[in-house]
Amino acid sequence: MTKEEVIEVIKRNIVENLDDVEADSIDATKSMKEYGANSLDMIEVVSTSMRELNIKIPRSELAELGNIDELADKFMEYINKG
Amino acid sequence: MPDATDFSLADFHLNDNPNVLEPPADYLEWISDPDVRQAFTFFEQQLLTAPRTRSEILSNLDRERRPIINLTSYNYLGLSTHPEVLQAARETLDRYGLSASGAPLVSGTFDLHVELARRLAEFKQKDDCLLFSSGYGGNLGALQGMMRKGDVIAMDERSHKSVIDGATLSGARKVFFAHNDPEDLAAQLEKHRDRRILVVLEGVYSMDGDLCRLPELADVADEYGAGIYIDEAHSTLMFGENGRGVAEHFGMEDRIGVSYGTLSKSFGGVGGFICANARLINYLKGYSSAWNFSCSPSPPVVGGLIKALEVATRDSTLRDRLWTNTEYFRSRLDSMGLDTGDCESQVIPLIIGPSGEKLFRYATAMQKRGLFLQPIDYPAVPAHRRRFRISMSSQLEEEDMDRALNIIEDVIVRDRD
Repeated sequence: MTKEEVIEVIKRNIVENLDDVEADSIDATKSMKEYGANSLDMIEVVSTSMRELNIKIPRSELAELGNIDELADKFMEYINKG
Repeated sequence: MPDATDFSLADFHLNDNPNVLEPPADYLEWISDPDVRQAFTFFEQQLLTAPRTRSEILSNLDRERRPIINLTSYNYLGLSTHPEVLQAARETLDRYGLSASGAPLVSGTFDLHVELARRLAEFKQKDDCLLFSSGYGGNLGALQGMMRKGDVIAMDERSHKSVIDGATLSGARKVFFAHNDPEDLAAQLEKHRDRRILVVLEGVYSMDGDLCRLPELADVADEYGAGIYIDEAHSTLMFGENGRGVAEHFGMEDRIGVSYGTLSKSFGGVGGFICANARLINYLKGYSSAWNFSCSPSPPVVGGLIKALEVATRDSTLRDRLWTNTEYFRSRLDSMGLDTGDCESQVIPLIIGPSGEKLFRYATAMQKRGLFLQPIDYPAVPAHRRRFRISMSSQLEEEDMDRALNIIEDVIVRDRD
């Protein structure tokens, strides 16, 4: 799976969990916060994306990430580890 | 790959087990790991006596009965075992029995409930009061009853779960602002200018023991025409010249729309309440489901609470003692160079840092030495600031505090040095 595909998965889950956000308008260099996500929304987006990607990353490792791109990098790390 | 101790309860919220009667499969694997099981032994340890500062527990560490100094229960003023409170509860029990046997609108309102609600409203200088059977239910029911889809509830990012769940149930948009940050609150409210907005604050934040910056945050709320709701669970009966809470402490009670309190902490009973204008309280009786659809608080508890309010407010003896003890304990912790964060209250965090291993090793050693001080782990607090949370009490004698401080020094300070 490519990083672009991972970003698509995250974007789709953002759209499903947040009001008034369209996938095309999401810039991966921004934080979900900028699209109106609160901390609970972010947990939902991350959990559903990880389920879809079949990976499990401890929440404590995700706390310091700043934007969607960094989240995708972290996901890729785990996807590549198998 | 990470090992089991890197995971926490934050990681298993989503349940994808096809069998809805079972937890997630990976949760069961995680919870069976020996290190995780060890950490979980600290949960649900049984107290064998009243939650006084000297108590006894059945330790989950080794199944031993162990006398302990109790710095974990939030019996801040010792009212749960005050002789006058217990006598009032006994008398009420004999007269009214154990249960109210009904929801408040139908048959669960006794003269006792009306009396406690009237006294609480008078104490908080509001028109009226609604009593809830649990503290969690109080925030849940008040917020669900007040706010609707299309509205906005702005909460501090460190808000209690009952506030978050009440906001979720209401259907309003949940907006979190950076802890105690008026500029961020303003930035968040700016995005929702045209909405009905409620700003929810806590007098004392329960994991850090710091106070809300009420003057600055209230100015922002006023600027945006938002209502102010303050949760004084850890401050009522303790802060302010008359013990009315942090709003009194700042001299700002008239700017608070809804004042919430719990009856299980300083009051020594169980339940919650909100005080507000009579029109809102009247409206909430029709729409606050946690109130409307719960059996009214148990009569002996209400009888005890009426007395507890009287005992705590007839003079300042209990809260003076609490503050003397808090100052003593905190200054000793500071002199040992321990990190107590931005604590300004009787809730004193003892911050250990990122190591879960240290947190549980210290907790085990302290308990075996006779100090009941429970570890607070991620996700309840940030992973890099795992801690113990010390609850001070007016009941503590200097001798108890010195013993507790010696144990903390032997276990934590010596390990650090």
